[in-house]
Amino acid sequence: MQSQYSGTIILTENLGKSVKTSSGTLHILLEIDLQIYVGESIAIVGESGSGKSTLISLLAGLDTPTTGSIMLAGKSLTKMDEDGRAAIRNQYIGFVFQSFQLLQGLTALENVMLPLELRNDKNARNAATALLERVGLSERLTHTPKQLSGGEQQRVALARAFVTKPAILFADEPTGNLDSKTGATIVDLLFELNTENRTTLILVTHDQSLAMRCQRTIKLSAGKFA
Amino acid sequence: MKPLTLVVRMLWRDTRSGELTILVLALLIAVTSSTAITLFSNRMERTMTEQTAEFLAADLVITSHAPVPDTWLEKAGQFGLAQSQTAEFSSVLIEHDEMLLAGVKAASTHYPLRGYLKTTTSDYSAEAIEHQGPESGKAWVEKRVLTALKLNLGDVVTVGEKKLTVTKIMTYEPDKQGDIYSFSPRLMMNKQDLQETGIVQPGSHVHYFYQFSGEPSQLSEFKSWVKPQLNLAQRIMDIHEDRPELGSALNRAERYLGLSSILVIIISGVAIAMATRRYTERHLDATAILRCLGSKQSDVLWLFVSQFVILGLVVSALGCLLGWFGQEMLFRLLKDLLPQTVAKPSLLAVFLGLISGMIVLLGFALPPLLRLKDVSPSRVLRRDLEPLPTSAWLVYGLSAGLVTVLIWRYTQDLTMTATIFCFGLIALLFLGFLVYLLLMLARRFLPAMGLNWRFGLQGLLKNSRATISQILAFTITLVAMALSFTVRNDLIENWHKQLPDHAANHFALNIFAEQLPKLQKDFTEQGIEGSQFYPVVRGRLTEINGVPVQKVVSKDSQGESATHRELSLTSTENLPEENKITAGTWWSPGQKNGVSVEQKLAESLRINLGDNLLFVVGGQPLTATVNSIRALHWETMKPNFYMIFSPGTLESYPKTFLTSFYLPDNKKTALNKLVKNYPAMTILEVGLLLKQFKTIITQLTEAINYLLYFALMAGFTVLFAAIYSTLDNRLYESAILRTLGANRSLLRRTHIIEFTLIGLISGVLAVILSETLLFALYAKAIQIDYRPTWYLWAALPIIGAFAVGSAGYWGVRRVAKTPPLTVLRNL
Repeated sequence: MQSQYSGTIILTENLGKSVKTSSGTLHILLEIDLQIYVGESIAIVGESGSGKSTLISLLAGLDTPTTGSIMLAGKSLTKMDEDGRAAIRNQYIGFVFQSFQLLQGLTALENVMLPLELRNDKNARNAATALLERVGLSERLTHTPKQLSGGEQQRVALARAFVTKPAILFADEPTGNLDSKTGATIVDLLFELNTENRTTLILVTHDQSLAMRCQRTIKLSAGKFA
Repeated sequence: MKPLTLVVRMLWRDTRSGELTILVLALLIAVTSSTAITLFSNRMERTMTEQTAEFLAADLVITSHAPVPDTWLEKAGQFGLAQSQTAEFSSVLIEHDEMLLAGVKAASTHYPLRGYLKTTTSDYSAEAIEHQGPESGKAWVEKRVLTALKLNLGDVVTVGEKKLTVTKIMTYEPDKQGDIYSFSPRLMMNKQDLQETGIVQPGSHVHYFYQFSGEPSQLSEFKSWVKPQLNLAQRIMDIHEDRPELGSALNRAERYLGLSSILVIIISGVAIAMATRRYTERHLDATAILRCLGSKQSDVLWLFVSQFVILGLVVSALGCLLGWFGQEMLFRLLKDLLPQTVAKPSLLAVFLGLISGMIVLLGFALPPLLRLKDVSPSRVLRRDLEPLPTSAWLVYGLSAGLVTVLIWRYTQDLTMTATIFCFGLIALLFLGFLVYLLLMLARRFLPAMGLNWRFGLQGLLKNSRATISQILAFTITLVAMALSFTVRNDLIENWHKQLPDHAANHFALNIFAEQLPKLQKDFTEQGIEGSQFYPVVRGRLTEINGVPVQKVVSKDSQGESATHRELSLTSTENLPEENKITAGTWWSPGQKNGVSVEQKLAESLRINLGDNLLFVVGGQPLTATVNSIRALHWETMKPNFYMIFSPGTLESYPKTFLTSFYLPDNKKTALNKLVKNYPAMTILEVGLLLKQFKTIITQLTEAINYLLYFALMAGFTVLFAAIYSTLDNRLYESAILRTLGANRSLLRRTHIIEFTLIGLISGVLAVILSETLLFALYAKAIQIDYRPTWYLWAALPIIGAFAVGSAGYWGVRRVAKTPPLTVLRNL
């Protein structure tokens, strides 16, 4: 696996996740060895239940594996406790979700400010305003998610993901809840921001055209690389 | 740790978006009502204590047969207490060939320290309030004195060797009580003139009263200083010890006020717990995002807990302010009923309101809130990942602990608190199990039911744990409301029963046996209703089972004072009304030398059934065996006796008779006739005392009414809060049902069935629980007779079904009106 980029940002070895059920152990992911380089864009594809979401949540430190190890930015996620992983997320990672996951009570601006506020960044308001302008929502700063369309909500989510300038961006079906035209606009915006910020992009999608725009595609089937 | 500004900002955002409305409302009501009640009862209690202190004309009185050492008075001065002194003695006044045995009171300048005197100058002029007694050289007398001695105002009356000018007719004297059977017409003079009367000689029979008033802490310090120095003939009196009839009314009212405020706090607490649960559920997603954005568990906890602390402080402060205004309003509403000077609100009570607000919030809100700490960040990808519910012992332990502390504060009794706690725990577990069985039973019949009932019942069965906790929450609320209502009614009814409209307002004493038939005839002719005529023999209790009483009794107890004076002994065949045998039996026919002893005196003197008592009556010994112990209501204005002997036991001793009777104001002339026809008989007017007592009861009744409104308001708010906290899930399911084609009337009926059943079951459980609690409460805490309140058995289930049913229906009605997609989007 060669890349034009130097430096590994994520490295997994023998990664696995299984859960115990009444009918025995269920293996969700098995023997995943993966190396992702800085600035790379990767699409994870596969059928429903193939383990895509589990893989992404393990890579982002949202969940813990049953076997194997994950190194993120040279640090072992698997050796960290939950607070350590939270610190990693705070420092390196951004997220975009299929269901946008905006906080309903907050305005667009406040949603984007939140990650910076959690870092105690004094410049939160200015940075968030600038990014919302960048995604074309300068007129919508004070609107709450309920007052925004699906496409607009996903733009807010993009702005929120990029506002901390993360090293890695995880996107879970970013266009899954959008019509194809709006979806395409969002994808354009996602790749533009990705290029501008030199972010490593790891996205889960069913959308072949979206996967094609990534430098690399990983296909999962029944918890293994297909 | 995240900075406080972020906490405040997040709090503000949540407030703005309406997430906190129910919580704020519940907390606001808890703090407002508990502060209002605490402040109100605190002020009322202090006002009442001050007012009842009028009956002693001071806060504390020392009585003595001889002047007390000057050092005592100096010490009282050092404690910063105000002082006055009175000396009382009987003296025969002779004017215009008429003779009258008068009760003379010589009062110092500052008398009375509490309350006031009332005087008038003729039958037609208005009464004037006096804050001091007569000046030197002057005397104020009761009208009876003028009539009996054929005197007019301005005439001179001679007390011993001192001539005094009668300047005013005295109509009211706050501390006129003393030994109720030895009332004589009053003459009041200045203490400076006492020496010149020549009456006060060594050995003469004079009662000295030393009155003190001041701050409670100084009074209690002085009391503890002086108490060890009292000799056997000296006593300390304060309002709680010495006016049992007022003391017990006050104590009960205080206990009721305390109970009401605890009930309001408990039901608001339930509302807070439910509102926080909803808050928590609605913040699961937001918390997952925060975790995703890199917040640690401790950060999340800090963010939410500190938001609640700030919220608690702000809302509690606002609640205190509102509570303060609330009680101020109450006092304004009650202005006409209350004494002119009402005690000021205590800042400590306001502070307590703030503290209790915080405790209630954290006690009830923390357990559900702690769940947020455990939200997994993976929830952002899989919404079905719910954090485990906070462990049950923590949820219930914290709130149960809080309730226990409250109960302990109210009862000040560890055993009783433990009993209530264990009973409550067992009752809740038992009721919870009962509901569980009921639900299981309902599940069996489900297939045979129609669609409406099936859907309605399925709503309850789907999550039986949640249903059980909802039903228990409603049960607690209904129990609290029922208790508040019933205790108030019974308390008021009990007071009124003790003081019916035609309660006796006169006592007639010193009636000789030979006058009895004629007097009874006169009473009948004049339509005077009276109690039975009791023979009275004066005697002193000297030995119990051969041991001198002084060795048995502890100092300052009720028993101690009873052994230092002659008691009024009586004998009667039938147990007087309002008396209740608590041990032993009433006389068997022909029984001789039996005695029935009043319960409290018996306890104080450690007298038991079968004990032999020795009395000395006019130098003659009288022995009797204790046959029964009696409880009696001192509140009734009827002749009450510590010692009642079996018929015939007192036959051979010199005796007079005594009765009480009711005389309406328009029949007062009959009194003059009686006084004229029976000059030796003493008529004692207790009307004034009765009036004062009734006023106090009315005030307490009013106060209690308003408190009930507070409790009810809090109760209804909790009902609505609770229902709203369960809405999201129901709205979601109903919207799904509608998309599947369920019509509105089906949904409406299903919801009505579901909520009405919750209310009905809660109502039935509440009846069982409240009746049991009432029984325990009446027997232990308030000491009034328990009777089952039958109307509650019907009312509570109906109220529960109707209130919960309609509130639930009102809450979910929008699902039937709004398009399902809009409902789903807004959830």
